[in-house]
Amino acid sequence: MTILDVRAVSRRFGGLQALSEVMFSVSRGEIVGVIGPNGAGKTTLFSTLVGLIRPDSGTVTLDGRDLAGLKPHRVASLGMTKTFQNVALFAESSVLDNVLTAGLLHHGVDAARGEALNCLDRVGLRGVAHKQAGNLSFPERARVELARALCTAPKVLLLDEVMAALNHAEMAEIMQLIRSLRDDGVTLLVVEHHMRAIMNVCDRILVLNFGRLLADGTPEQVARDPLVIEAYLGRSREAARR
Amino acid sequence: MKRCLPLAAVIVLTALLPLLLDPRGYWIRVLTITLLFAAMAQAWNIVGGLANQTSLGHAAFFGIGAYTSTVLLLKFGISPWLGMVAGGVLGGLAAFVIAIPTMRLQGHYFALATLAFGEVMRVIANVWTSLTGGPSGLSVPFVPPSFAAYSFKLLRPHAWIALVALVIVTAIFEAIRRGAMGYRLRAIKQNAAAAEVIGVDTTRVKLQAAVISGALIAMLGTLYAQVAVFFDPDTVFSIAGISIRIALIAIIGGVGTAAGPILGAFFIIPLEEIMNDLLSSRAAGLSQLVFGIILISVILWQPRGFITVFGSLRARLSRTVSP
Repeated sequence: MTILDVRAVSRRFGGLQALSEVMFSVSRGEIVGVIGPNGAGKTTLFSTLVGLIRPDSGTVTLDGRDLAGLKPHRVASLGMTKTFQNVALFAESSVLDNVLTAGLLHHGVDAARGEALNCLDRVGLRGVAHKQAGNLSFPERARVELARALCTAPKVLLLDEVMAALNHAEMAEIMQLIRSLRDDGVTLLVVEHHMRAIMNVCDRILVLNFGRLLADGTPEQVARDPLVIEAYLGRSREAARR
Repeated sequence: MKRCLPLAAVIVLTALLPLLLDPRGYWIRVLTITLLFAAMAQAWNIVGGLANQTSLGHAAFFGIGAYTSTVLLLKFGISPWLGMVAGGVLGGLAAFVIAIPTMRLQGHYFALATLAFGEVMRVIANVWTSLTGGPSGLSVPFVPPSFAAYSFKLLRPHAWIALVALVIVTAIFEAIRRGAMGYRLRAIKQNAAAAEVIGVDTTRVKLQAAVISGALIAMLGTLYAQVAVFFDPDTVFSIAGISIRIALIAIIGGVGTAAGPILGAFFIIPLEEIMNDLLSSRAAGLSQLVFGIILISVILWQPRGFITVFGSLRARLSRTVSP
């Protein structure tokens, strides 16, 4: 059953066609990877889906509801949110307050605090709940960002490079978390540069290149697709092997 | 609960203070004005502290409040208590109208836009003579003293009313700060895009804060009108005398904290009075110069306000008390 339907979404920034007629749909409970060279439009795609960027044309439908013209907070309340590539925490607030603020979408302050602690438990950060968010290490901040997004109780969660700068053990934990979220009924879209991780965890992979959807298929199909190899894997095979 | 006890003690002691001061004297007026400015700075703190939008136009709402209740009293004989409510509504409305275009602005741009709005209100009040009396100002008419008419022989009740106002505005500030709105405002202040994406309606929350702050300041304008008895557009819509002063009080005391505006007001208002008293007979402008030097020194010494001094003092005390 389709939960997210993206129809012919385009967006131009000045002379740059950041997204060009992007079209795909995602079924409930899928884990979908989004890959592509730098500047391919991955982050723009996520920003467009949550309403931070308005598409010039095309439609985004979440769970049967057209998102046209909706602000990000409405999209969040309908069940879709994202994490930020460069980590956008409320740096002066405590870790708990960061996550709690997201919980206020569906709860009062006290219930939101309980929810926030649960979400911190899930990412293994309950121990630092009262630390100032800006003082954490980068991998920890990425996990706070993940906990904060989780605390909005999303149906569709867009993760923009949450595994950047993680070591293998930490990455394994996040992949485990992604799978457990799917088991809870969350649908995930994952932008990641780390090929082995994304091939491992995703059911399906979308390949973007210059704002166009180049390929859409299982990890095996995508890895064998000559267009993809030429545009992406071919040029960065060394990086992909890392 | 433990923290409530010293708080209650401070409020009771402040309430007793007017009884010790000469009821016709100078210092009870200073106390009343200090309490009033503390309340105003606290109302400003909702926008300036929690949302971190440094408004320099809050005189607009203050003046609207002062004029609304006084005009209603002059033209229709309506009690200033009701006039205060009407002024609060108008002040909130004005805050709503000005917030729509200025909300997207940040930092200096927001400060300048609000500053301009305050000035526009001053010019309107000067020109709209039929309603406001123009540059010659308005006098609050004398009515037989009674609480219902907000008219008193002595200044004591005014001091108590100002104290009650300060307590109420501070309670509202604290409720906002600790509640959902406080979390949302802090989120917006630090990263508006991230706040939106996790479900914060940033437009709505900023509007709410602006309206609450504007309405409260307008209501305090009535208190000022009743104490001052006479005022003109250049006083109540003053940039330096109202807009900047209340921002300064909150900043000197410690912005975004409940205690900050109170500490700031009890430092700045009496200091200004003392400087004027001591120095204004010596040389023109000397009191302002010395006042300015003291303010600069304080800002250099404690850039985050007096509140940090109290914080570190408390930390040191608890260290010496506990073994």
